Amino acid sequence: MTTNAPAMGVATGSHDTVKKNYLEISKGFWSWAGTLDHKRIGIMYLIGVSLALLAGGVFAMLVRLHLWKSTGVLFDNATYNQIFTLHGVFMVFIFIIPAIPGSLGNMVLPLMLGAKDVALPRLNLLSFYLWLSGTCLALYAIVAGGFDTGWTFYAPYSIYTNQAVVSVGLGIFLLGFSSIFTGLNFIVTTHKLRAPGLTWFRMPLFVWAIYATAILQVLATPVLGITVLLVAFERLYHIGIFDPRLGGDPVLFEHFFWFYSHPAVYIMVLPAFGIISDLISVHSRKPLFGYKLIAFSSIAIAMISFLVWGHHMFTSGQSSYAMFAFSFLTFFVGIPTAIKEFSWVATVWKGSIALNSPMLYTLSFLIIFAIGGLTGVILGALNVDIHLHDTYFVVAHFHYVMMGSIALAFFAGVHHWWPKMFGVMYSEFYAKIACALIFVGFNATFIPQFIMGSRGMPRRYATYVPEFEGFHQASTIGALVIGTGVALMVGNLVLSIFTGKKAMQNEWGGVTLEWLSPTPPPLENFYEQPIVTTEVYDYTTLDLRTTQTPCS
Amino acid sequence: MSHDHGIVVPAPGAGFLPHTVAHHFDSPTQEFQSAKLGFWLFLATEILLFGGLFAAYFFFHQVYPETFRLGGQQLSWKLGALNTTVLLISSWTMAMGVRSAQTSQKRKLLIYCGLTLLGAAIFMVVKIIEYKAKFDHGFLPVFGGTDYDQATHQLSWFKDYHNVMVGVQNPSLFFSIYFTMTAIHGVHVLVGAGLIIWIMVGAAKGRFHANYFLPVDLVGLYWHLVDLIWIFLFPLLYLVP
Amino acid sequence: MSSHDSHDTHKAHGHDQQNHGPHHVTSSATFLKILIVLLILTAITVITSRFDFGSANLLIAMLIAAVKATLVISIFMHLRWDTPINKIAFLCSFLFLSLLFLFTLADQATRSMDGANERTRAPVDKEWQHPSTLEKPQ
Repeated sequence: MTTNAPAMGVATGSHDTVKKNYLEISKGFWSWAGTLDHKRIGIMYLIGVSLALLAGGVFAMLVRLHLWKSTGVLFDNATYNQIFTLHGVFMVFIFIIPAIPGSLGNMVLPLMLGAKDVALPRLNLLSFYLWLSGTCLALYAIVAGGFDTGWTFYAPYSIYTNQAVVSVGLGIFLLGFSSIFTGLNFIVTTHKLRAPGLTWFRMPLFVWAIYATAILQVLATPVLGITVLLVAFERLYHIGIFDPRLGGDPVLFEHFFWFYSHPAVYIMVLPAFGIISDLISVHSRKPLFGYKLIAFSSIAIAMISFLVWGHHMFTSGQSSYAMFAFSFLTFFVGIPTAIKEFSWVATVWKGSIALNSPMLYTLSFLIIFAIGGLTGVILGALNVDIHLHDTYFVVAHFHYVMMGSIALAFFAGVHHWWPKMFGVMYSEFYAKIACALIFVGFNATFIPQFIMGSRGMPRRYATYVPEFEGFHQASTIGALVIGTGVALMVGNLVLSIFTGKKAMQNEWGGVTLEWLSPTPPPLENFYEQPIVTTEVYDYTTLDLRTTQTPCS
Repeated sequence: MSHDHGIVVPAPGAGFLPHTVAHHFDSPTQEFQSAKLGFWLFLATEILLFGGLFAAYFFFHQVYPETFRLGGQQLSWKLGALNTTVLLISSWTMAMGVRSAQTSQKRKLLIYCGLTLLGAAIFMVVKIIEYKAKFDHGFLPVFGGTDYDQATHQLSWFKDYHNVMVGVQNPSLFFSIYFTMTAIHGVHVLVGAGLIIWIMVGAAKGRFHANYFLPVDLVGLYWHLVDLIWIFLFPLLYLVP
Repeated sequence: MSSHDSHDTHKAHGHDQQNHGPHHVTSSATFLKILIVLLILTAITVITSRFDFGSANLLIAMLIAAVKATLVISIFMHLRWDTPINKIAFLCSFLFLSLLFLFTLADQATRSMDGANERTRAPVDKEWQHPSTLEKPQ
């Protein structure tokens, strides 16, 4: 892509204020708390979701440490239930779902589109505060007695349990609307604020992925909203819709819940696909193989995800015919997903591969996601799932997707756009060590869980038969390694803000629009409206000087 | 700050205020279309939010048809039809209100918005009358205790003083659904009424005219959605069962 | 329009500038006609509900409601004259809602066919205690 803009970083305006980037342009608490700038909101999200990740990570470590011995080490059974529920709720609703769209999406999407901001900046800020309020309600629920339903809130237990389900339910309602508004904003921005010349098939694949995610956020999340609202009514007024003792049907709850929560899996993973698509092209210095196929497969995954939710309910008592249909349809998800995986691998092939830390995370993703995806196909088979349902096999499968794939893609994206966001570079050496630790630790944690699960170790149990002790201990050691790696990664990144060397204008040699704005970007992103005249990922247009000029 | 303050859309005449386009838009059209698309998407989420309740309705209607038949007979279809008429007329006044804004007729805009507000008020009053009748029957989930009685396996809120729901399975379920659906719809009516008041304040100042009527248009859409949901609620709750 | 910088003056206005034409203003007569049709359809709904068509009751009522909804959406809400993307955005919600209905109701309707209901619905346990009556965990 080329633009009609003059050489990067050279402000055309004569005023000094024009040269100030978005971090410097105003100071003080309210200049952040009341900001409408998508970049600052993105940074606030980044801090928020990172804290949520750390909190969820602490809960995960507590769970792993508790399971060191078959009799349980740290907690009584009731507390253990609360701890794993907290881990699930924090990781799913407060970290993963908003993580990539909220932080990196906000930060990068308008830049990639050549827009001055997202289309609806006030809604964007509202969406952040809804996220914050929802998180506060979840935190309040911990103080108010905790909650032990698991992140799925299955009725009728969630109706009967004597815990703070209502406040966490309302918290999830708010988090849901935060997610809806983010998605809505991105759809409108993508439709209405694209730079001249930026046709749909010139958009970076990160934008395509965020767009597909946004469709899901807008169309699936309201059903979660009404579901948690009904659970709250159920607890407050005993309306009986999900309560079998009043003629209600808990399976209906599961239908509602998974109508959202299955697409939610793709709300989480599609942005990760987007990051990987972009990064793999930049760090292989090669146009993406199968650009259109990857773009369409994002949309296809979004559509198919609405047809398969019943595969979470194979042992719930739903009709056998429904199970058959859901199982059959589930396999179709494998097609667009495999298209992506193969296209990525084909992109790397014969590329000019630069093994930077974002690329290392990306390659880790490719390996881990292949395992996570294929075990998902195994679980989609009706008869196999009856055996594996609610075992550690399922736990390992979705951690391979959520933690190993999505969190790693998130880390990759943060490392990739870190110099863009802050204008500084972290230590590549420590970043690579952290990546290696996380990759090794991750596999050490979850491979034993696959084995345990296939042998019948049920999930969510506070104690277990002694035969599994060795596997659990291996898993716990692996978790400690992940913890070390994440701590090293966070320390390395945070330290770079204070001591890091200046980043280059275009640190990785990317050619999508976000690298054509000054680094870090000014308030309205571009000094001149960029006009796109070339195809996407065309590395012949790269101005190599910008990769060697330190940013202002 | 030296960035531009956005394009100014002029007022069409005396008594009207100009509108400044938000700084990140290039044209008033872009602003209008962005907000409009965003709002349609929001309305889509509203459809799916209510959709969950409708799914629950159809689900239990399929399981307990007799409960729904008998329960529906306890509702006053006359009051339901009255409220339907009121909402349809208010929907029409709202559409006319938007039209008045599009044609820069300030007085008419205020009158039509006032009429719509009146419709909302009548609707809520009728709703309260209906709820009162249900309360007298002992059908209202919010009152009379919300516990599940261990000894009798009975719900404490479901009293059925007049024994009209005898002989059907889980009679409380119909009223749970009726109240959940109408209460959430009622909240939307109140929110819509608040938004219309906000429009009237802006209209009195002359903010809305042929060159800029976006907020009126959006609030209008919201109000039509409230009507749209009621169009389905009325036959399902009052007539079909 | 104040404080224009130099770069603004020769800025390329490349964003979509189409649809600059006047917004569609529907005539009062059309609105009134639609209102009357809506009221008549409401009356028809009430009248048909007085007759029993058996299992078709629900279907008839929903069809009439759908016609009314179509009128409100297309005329009152101006969707008929709106941009294609707005049409798609809104109408998609009905498509996806129908998926929720389809699978949920299909599950319910076919559950009894394989005896799943009988197998999975446990008999009422008289000893069962509501957890809210149990002691709070420490």
